[in-house]
Amino acid sequence: MHKNLVSLAVAGAFLAMGSQAFAAPDWGKVPTKNIEVFHPGVTPIEWATKKSDHSGSSGLKKGETCAGCHDEKGKLSIDLKRLASKELEPKGAPKTMTFPVGVQAAYDATNLYVRLTFKAPAGAADPQDKENEVKATVMFANDKVPQGAQVGCWATCHTDARTMPGADDKKTKYVKEGAMDLMQWKSGKGAKAVDGTVADKRNMEGGTAGVKADGAKAGDTYTVTFTRKLAGGVAMAEGKAVPFGVAIHADGAAGRFHHISFGYSLGIGADGDVKAVKQ
Amino acid sequence: MGDGNKAGLWAALKRPSAKYSLLTLLVVGFFSGIVFWGGFNTAMEATNTLEFCISCHEMRDTVYQEYKQTIHYSNRTGVRAVCSDCHVPKDWVHKMARKIQASQEIYGKIMGTIDTPEKFEAKRLELAEHEWARMKKAESRECRNCHSFEGMNIEKQKTRASKMHKIAQDEKKTCIDCHKGIAHKKPKGMKEDDEDE
Repeated sequence: MHKNLVSLAVAGAFLAMGSQAFAAPDWGKVPTKNIEVFHPGVTPIEWATKKSDHSGSSGLKKGETCAGCHDEKGKLSIDLKRLASKELEPKGAPKTMTFPVGVQAAYDATNLYVRLTFKAPAGAADPQDKENEVKATVMFANDKVPQGAQVGCWATCHTDARTMPGADDKKTKYVKEGAMDLMQWKSGKGAKAVDGTVADKRNMEGGTAGVKADGAKAGDTYTVTFTRKLAGGVAMAEGKAVPFGVAIHADGAAGRFHHISFGYSLGIGADGDVKAVKQ
Repeated sequence: MGDGNKAGLWAALKRPSAKYSLLTLLVVGFFSGIVFWGGFNTAMEATNTLEFCISCHEMRDTVYQEYKQTIHYSNRTGVRAVCSDCHVPKDWVHKMARKIQASQEIYGKIMGTIDTPEKFEAKRLELAEHEWARMKKAESRECRNCHSFEGMNIEKQKTRASKMHKIAQDEKKTCIDCHKGIAHKKPKGMKEDDEDE
């Protein structure tokens, strides 16, 4: 009888491991870090690293992170007026330039779990995505990406990428070296989670992180939960921190018309801007 | 004949006066000096006012309009820096040098070098580069008439300002190395500073 109970428990545990629903952490026990996302205008990495455009580029050369200067105790310290101006946003800025995204993270022996909670504002400047009202994306940089830990998603954002003024419509985001994992949830009906990568170009499939994504809207708040393997394209492990960034396409926004975060670090049993809690 | 006249005038100037006492000559000379000197400086100061600078449409319609949107024109404390505070040195020697150099602008005015907004825009980068070079050479002396690292409490600044000012001090930079385009529009096509590459 006792033996039977044990084997039942073991069988149950295996079943639970096979199902993401059971493996998901108790989010009520995971602390939330609020990260502000903002409309970046036309400020690709070439802009950020050019002294005459961005005087902070000398800070980047010294190894400073974007967030190190522009995140003032959780509040953005950037010139939003300039970002929304014709100089940096020729096509028109969204009505809401910034909003907070609650970021939570947890991990177990196999997986990393990331939960985003946010209110996606209306008033997009150029709502081109008719199928998805909202898209939520997280990218992780591997250690080969130049300045990956400093600039986060900016490592993929270039002046010649699609939707940039005068850029080729076929050219996607890319990194000069290394690779980034990209996981995305789309609000459109039947849309699949994206398990993608960004290397010399962006691939919206073919990632090796086994990404799963669930999202729902309750009231005016979206909650999106990602599950991915620790051992994906960007190899994660306990005791390590990995650079990441968040992007939200709100109100049918497409291409560069997203609200994005600076680059932050995700500590997996290690120090980081966001600390993943062990399950 | 002409030579004789010149020699005569020079001889007359050299000849001691028999008519006026030395005291009269000294007193008259002293007060004439004051009047001349005072008049000269007053006239020079008149060219240092904002009103003088914007009496020409070349400045009034372009850089003045841009400057009016900036903190050097209007701010919380009511301290205003006018054109000359940034563009003309305060000390006499450097001021004179700058004024003599600025007399070239009269030629530009007569020739209409920047007499339309289009012409001004076409020359904006070149003009700005001249001024940046002057400021850089003077180690941002005019900025430092009001601002200094010694008087600056970087702890009270926003993180991004305090971090950049720390780097600037470590690398012995001066204000204009970073603060270009703060009172007027930044020109298009700016070159990158070689030293930062």
